[in-house]
Amino acid sequence: MGVDLRVEGGERVALLGANGAGKTTTLMMLLGVITPDAGTIEMLGHLLPHERSTAMLGVGFAAGYLPLPDKLKVRELLGVYGRLYGLPDPDDAGDRALRRFGISPLATQMASELSSGQRTLVGLAKATMHHPRLLVLDEPTASLDPDVALRARAGIESLCEADGTALLVTSHNMTEVERICHRVVFLSHGKVVADGTAADVAAQFGRPSLEDVFLHLASEEL
Amino acid sequence: MSATTLGLNHQRIGAVVRRQAYVQRRGWHRWFDVAVWPVVDTVIWGSIGLYVDQQGGAARSGAAYMLVGILLMHVLYQSNIAVATGFMEETWSRNLINVATTPIREVEYLAGIIIVGLVKLAAGLGMVTLAAWTLYSFNLLEIGWAAVPIIGVLMLVGWCMALYVIGLVLRFGTGAEILAWGVLFIVIALSGAFYPIDALPDLLQPVSRSLPSTHAFEAARTVLDGHPLPWDRLGWAMVGLAVFAALGVGFISRMMRVFRDRGYISRYS
Repeated sequence: MGVDLRVEGGERVALLGANGAGKTTTLMMLLGVITPDAGTIEMLGHLLPHERSTAMLGVGFAAGYLPLPDKLKVRELLGVYGRLYGLPDPDDAGDRALRRFGISPLATQMASELSSGQRTLVGLAKATMHHPRLLVLDEPTASLDPDVALRARAGIESLCEADGTALLVTSHNMTEVERICHRVVFLSHGKVVADGTAADVAAQFGRPSLEDVFLHLASEEL
Repeated sequence: MSATTLGLNHQRIGAVVRRQAYVQRRGWHRWFDVAVWPVVDTVIWGSIGLYVDQQGGAARSGAAYMLVGILLMHVLYQSNIAVATGFMEETWSRNLINVATTPIREVEYLAGIIIVGLVKLAAGLGMVTLAAWTLYSFNLLEIGWAAVPIIGVLMLVGWCMALYVIGLVLRFGTGAEILAWGVLFIVIALSGAFYPIDALPDLLQPVSRSLPSTHAFEAARTVLDGHPLPWDRLGWAMVGLAVFAALGVGFISRMMRVFRDRGYISRYS
């Protein structure tokens, strides 16, 4: 068995593991851009890859490591993505998404000229502007200042609480994971090795904290 | 949700057009393809043709041949480059993952960059026509309606070539981008854009005859010599095009499967 994962509506799940464990590959499979060797993926009731387009209408994705495209202002960028998600008023949806993360003044700036923190927040605005039923985030707060990370977390949590959005997030920040997520799933060598609440998983490995579980599994990964 | 035709979502296609339009508007280097190179090419080939005319040895007008050749070469060039670089813009700006994780379908994305390509093609041809008229007093519109099917064939050949290039970039990564230009100039040379294929080395002539673009260029020269449009030649061009297009669609479909199966998207993370 490789990865057997089910995320319920409104549930917040962290996908954890050392570098190379298979977190990003798993997310890319769930988003329909990598085909799994075996097995099936059902996203919001739609089977991938055939119903990928319909499924993605209800999914938002952002990754902390991705740049924003060149030669677009932030409002233009959000307008483009709003149209890709089929929103009736994409420009207004973009402005509301920027307000959610407290970055409305960035609307007229060139996306490629933003700081890494601003870029991450705009990426989150892009991923959440269509009020997805599932938000998939890959290292959303990696290398962010604590104040920007706090703003990102607050925006994500407000969306999840207001809309009942489910969250599937990868992170190396165990404190953040324990604060946001209801459940953690540890991957190692492309396989699920633990699945439960943070306290349950720590107890399963006989470690005092999630951080210690991570370090234990990371040493095995090497 | 916006209206759909043939399963294509107009709003998503419009989003691709919008994105490309922003890039075109702010990327000054992008204007070289549609405004500068067409004029430079017209000057180079128009002047060569004029020089040949001035030597007095040619039975036909060298300048007219060259100028029509450059106009039609730009149909091939603009239609191929606009579509291929439209896709490559996403790889250059590492935006492929962002786009690929939205609801857009591959065919909608392709439709969007083809629409942008059509606009750029019209602009490029307009520049060649204007340059030929102002610099060489040659009116390319004199070819008349016969130019329409010829341009149509060359435009479709250019789009098919872009499918092969995009497929190779998906399979081999950014290193394959050079093929966007390399393959194009090989096809132009073999198609006899500026000369009858009899002028090519014997070894290359069978290859040349197998290309649909060759028959389109030959048809244009026939019209330029004052003869009616040779529909038989265009018929061969269409047959070749149908084969070329079917192979191109098969090739890119296969490359997209390989791209997904092997997780090559991670190259752009």
